[in-house]
Amino acid sequence: MLSDQAHANELTGRFPRQAFVSIVIFCVLWEIMSRLSPSLGIPPFAIPSFVRIGESLMKITPLDVIVTLARVIGALVLSFVGGVVIAMGMYRSPSLENYLHPLVRILMAVPVVSWILFAVLWFRGVEFRIAFVLIAVCGPVFLVDALDAMRGVSKDLRGMMRSFRPTAFQYFTKLMFPAILPSLITSWKINLSLAIRVVTIAELVGAVTGIGHQLAVAQELFSVADVFAWTLVLVVLLFLLEALLVRFEARVLRWRA
Amino acid sequence: MNATMSTTKSEPTAIEVENLRKVFRQATTGQSVVAIDRLSLHIAPREVVAIVGQTGCGKSTFFDMMIGLEQPSEGAIRINGKTPYADFDAFRGKMATVFQQDRLLPWRTSYDNARLPLELMGVDEKIQRERAMHWLKRLGLENFANAYPHELSGGMRQRVAIARAFVLQPDILLADEAFGHLDEVTAAELRSTFLALARECGSTAILITHQLEEAIAVGDRIVVFGKSAKLLADIHVAQWKPEDYGLLREAIQATLQSNSPDARLIRAP
Ligand SMILES: Nc1ncnc2c1ncn2[C@@H]1O[C@H](COP(=O)(O)OP(=O)(O)O)[C@@H](O)[C@H]1O
Ligand SMILES: [Mg+2]
Repeated sequence: MLSDQAHANELTGRFPRQAFVSIVIFCVLWEIMSRLSPSLGIPPFAIPSFVRIGESLMKITPLDVIVTLARVIGALVLSFVGGVVIAMGMYRSPSLENYLHPLVRILMAVPVVSWILFAVLWFRGVEFRIAFVLIAVCGPVFLVDALDAMRGVSKDLRGMMRSFRPTAFQYFTKLMFPAILPSLITSWKINLSLAIRVVTIAELVGAVTGIGHQLAVAQELFSVADVFAWTLVLVVLLFLLEALLVRFEARVLRWRA
Repeated sequence: MNATMSTTKSEPTAIEVENLRKVFRQATTGQSVVAIDRLSLHIAPREVVAIVGQTGCGKSTFFDMMIGLEQPSEGAIRINGKTPYADFDAFRGKMATVFQQDRLLPWRTSYDNARLPLELMGVDEKIQRERAMHWLKRLGLENFANAYPHELSGGMRQRVAIARAFVLQPDILLADEAFGHLDEVTAAELRSTFLALARECGSTAILITHQLEEAIAVGDRIVVFGKSAKLLADIHVAQWKPEDYGLLREAIQATLQSNSPDARLIRAP
């Protein structure tokens, strides 16, 4: 459970002072360890100084960041559209739901590593493999959340809406979609952090671009500084995207008390 | 109209209910509940009718069948000659509803809620705006057009719901316990506004309530439901002299309590 202050910070996207302090302390400790490492018998590359990390950050290639970002956004959009459309079908047809529900539960229980191995064994195209893994992981989350949210739309509102005789399209766009939007945004937040973490693993296998590929290269070069730098980029990327989502959420959900 | 003509038969009918029956099968117990047992009722155009009955007697079930949300188990409802359930889309724009809870869309402002029925009909936006603003103004909400439901009091939200019903200038106006959850002063005020507007629009209106006082306040005609929507009494208030209203009230009260027609109602003056 978040404290009220923490919750308020999360809502406004503000950075609390305490977090700043703990990060500074971590960096100072890291730097001290880095300086002491020769005398402690730790290999010099293991804990690079911030000067070294800074150099690695300067060498970050924007193209790899953009490629990874594009893969994540593309796969999430496909997962979202597919998940919501299938959820709509399942909502309207109980028999479709009876067929698909167990399957979705099974899909959600499959570990990410298995998806990656399947992807490698089944497909040759690198982009296809990555998209497959991301969609397999994120699609069911959108589907299940959207279906739950549709079921949760109040019977009162559905009756009111139907009493005015909407078309099926109006019923969806003017009642169901706005009603499930808060849940959909929450699923986007969950899936965004999931996808950012999964995409790098998927990119480790066979990709020649992207942050995951650069991490693999850094590993081959025994460069902790490069790994650190690329990881930092990933984390910042995730935070930026989450901040965007929070702003979007505040905009479209301002009707909430 | 010819006074010697025998009643209702030859008059046109807006709402016809014939031998209506609704049986629910409870999902958990598997038992059947007869919510409505062979109800017959005729309502003339422009008539304003109050239906009163105790909680659980089948009023909302009847309401849902008039709207066309529930299918009758037996018998039929015809509104202006059409069946609300089977001819569902034929009623687009012709029927307006007010419910117990305001049932506003929480993500829409008062204005956007009020114009919803017109929007669903594909009415020109300019007309949507004119009509929605007109009715919001009539209901004293001109300064709250851009407020979201959560920013309004219960009474104000119900006003928005009433505006949403009247933008259609509907032939048929149906209200189920529309003022039941409001405080007495607000309820009385909204009820009289509602009735005045209904008469002004020339709508056929049915107001469902479990409160006797509300039923009496509504006027023209009071229909009393017993268990399973059994028709216990059908009172045309105009046939009663104002000095007998006290008697009428007692007789309806007794009818509701005993679940059988009170003798005083049967030999109406
Ligand atoms: N969907 C349903 N399934 C099963 N029973 C129902 C359903 N709707 C109503 N009932 C039953 O029908 C009876 C009448 O309910 P209702 O029409 O809501 O009464 P009222 O509006 O007069 O209080 C009640 O016994 C209620 O439990
Ligand atoms: Mg009811």
